[in-house]
Amino acid sequence: MNDGLIASDAPFTPEEREILGALADTLVPASEDGVMPSAGELDIAGYVAGNAADFLPELGEILAGLDAGFAEEPLGIRVEHVKAFSEARPESFQRLLAEVYGCYYQDARVLEGIGAGAGPPFPRGNTVEPGDLSLLDPVMGSSTNWRREVPR
Amino acid sequence: MPSNDPVDVLIIGAGASGAAVAWSLADTRMHIVCMEQGDWTNPSEYPTNYPDWEQRLAGSDSIDPNVRGRDTDYPINNDDSPISVVNFNGVGGGTILYAAHFPRMHPSDFRVRTLDGVADDWPVSYDTLEPYFAENDRMMGVSGLAGDPSYPPKQPPLPPLPLGRLGETVAQGFNRLGWHWWPADSAIISRPYEGRDECKNLGPCTSGCAQGAKSSTDITYWPVALRKGVELWTRCRVREITVNAEGMADGVVYYDAEGEERHQRAEVVVLACNGVGTPRILLNSTSPQFPDGLANRSGQVGRNLMFHPVGFVRGYFEERLDSHMGPQGCCMLSNQFYETNPERDFVRGYMMQIVRGGVWPWTTAMQGAATGDIPWGPKHHEAFQRRFDHSANIGVLCEDLPEEHNTVTLDPELADSDGIPSPKISYTLSENSRRMLDHGVARAKEVMEAAGAVDVVGGGPARIAGWHLLGTARMGTDPETSVVNSWGRSHDVKNLFIVDGSIFVTSGGVNPTSTIQALALYVADTMKKNLATLFD
Repeated sequence: MNDGLIASDAPFTPEEREILGALADTLVPASEDGVMPSAGELDIAGYVAGNAADFLPELGEILAGLDAGFAEEPLGIRVEHVKAFSEARPESFQRLLAEVYGCYYQDARVLEGIGAGAGPPFPRGNTVEPGDLSLLDPVMGSSTNWRREVPR
Repeated sequence: MPSNDPVDVLIIGAGASGAAVAWSLADTRMHIVCMEQGDWTNPSEYPTNYPDWEQRLAGSDSIDPNVRGRDTDYPINNDDSPISVVNFNGVGGGTILYAAHFPRMHPSDFRVRTLDGVADDWPVSYDTLEPYFAENDRMMGVSGLAGDPSYPPKQPPLPPLPLGRLGETVAQGFNRLGWHWWPADSAIISRPYEGRDECKNLGPCTSGCAQGAKSSTDITYWPVALRKGVELWTRCRVREITVNAEGMADGVVYYDAEGEERHQRAEVVVLACNGVGTPRILLNSTSPQFPDGLANRSGQVGRNLMFHPVGFVRGYFEERLDSHMGPQGCCMLSNQFYETNPERDFVRGYMMQIVRGGVWPWTTAMQGAATGDIPWGPKHHEAFQRRFDHSANIGVLCEDLPEEHNTVTLDPELADSDGIPSPKISYTLSENSRRMLDHGVARAKEVMEAAGAVDVVGGGPARIAGWHLLGTARMGTDPETSVVNSWGRSHDVKNLFIVDGSIFVTSGGVNPTSTIQALALYVADTMKKNLATLFD
């Protein structure tokens, strides 16, 4: 009964995982310059299982609804398939997009690629330029503009 | 630990005002207990410690208690309001999740009737509160720059937080227009201070500060107050304040961590539960002497609810602004349109708050999907890179004037996990606020365009923006029209004090925490000076 399941905590059959990878690739393909990976390169199934398990059944339905040959289609055709799905089931599509983006924009390569720094903000921190306070010169030169309690 | 012995002072709520009043009253060496319905928070569990911090912000650590849904929260019915309440229930209260923008109210804010013929004057003035503002700045740890011409002289104890590229860019827009701007006073430490390390620009301050640089009262006032002998009981949710035959408060009924109903006697009760939580408890404290709720002979408890209606304008720029990093709500401000100008079609005014953050990676992608600016598919990266780290925001924070029909009442059906009725918010945006908001949004767009933005969007009021909860147990000298006197004592119940934002007479047009805490320190100081005749 469990034939076809891979030996992993992650759900889905290898075929389903292939379709999921192609679906994620369609939503976020790799960048042309090669800096940004495609979402299909990431472990979307593992992410959903670990972070959004309530979405697994719905994701299973989404994958089952895609043609078995979906993963083999060229990007342009896959985009048309996904567009049709997004219009037919907008709420499911929004949730799918949120989870794919959620996985994608936590990935270290992605965060470094967009210049955000890998990993969570703490303890890494960020460096913010102090800024030029001489820009305040015109403001300091202005007359006091706070209003007194009793008009004088 | 709980006992049947009466305590001298029982404070309800361990947030901004409860912490300040506890710290100050500890000087008296009285037996002081503070009851807090929530827990201590652990900074190592704040979202920014985790890779999925953005998702946590949208769910389990949301600023919206109805989304957060913890058992320490109480649900709030916002159906009859265009603005929803946001809060946090735990030690530190709202300061755990606030942005820590820390402006003081202005001198004119306390005299709106005299100056502009609207609402009422406060029974205290800026000058009265000034020493308490300064003391609170020292206790909290405030960063800023002296010399702002839109305020009387003041000296923040720490140098300002960095403007960054974002601040510099927007500042040039203000300068081109010849308008006021100034680095924000921020309750975030820019240098090591009182054993805490400085801000390291994590970004999402409204998720709790894992660095401990944001001055929430769990790490400022409370450690000192506890060392001075104040007891802080967490997971104690007060249902009502009880009264004796003479109509004086004699204690509270509360639920402990196990949900057991208990009674704690007290000589003095201090309410510090914010402008929603305080009227909720008062209205739920009915008795033959107070059939309409405690301290409510004026009928003003729960009325005059004021938010600050907020408009938001976002500008997108060609150059990278590092928008996702740095103290979220604390870059700079403008008081150019703060004071009344008779040439405008509204009275009073607003502050422009230049903010960063809220444009983090996942959030940017999701917002872009919603607006259509950032499509999924082959064009995703190009569109994302044009938006991410290329934006600046201006919040338009409008003064909200008191109106009796804006209320907090008890919901007849909704209740918290202990069965205490939930608050119901009934609020309409006034025509004055609407005009002010429209004016502010238009001016903020001008700033963005003058700063070089290539695309500008905006509007308001923002819905999930009810941070500031004010006016529902107002101060005043007339017991017929106000709930507490000029030093926070109930007109009706002489041993009941209120120190939170509910005692505001008007809202000003600034984030209120600095003023709330200054008022709490002032009330505590006045109590100490009048201990021998406190109930006269």
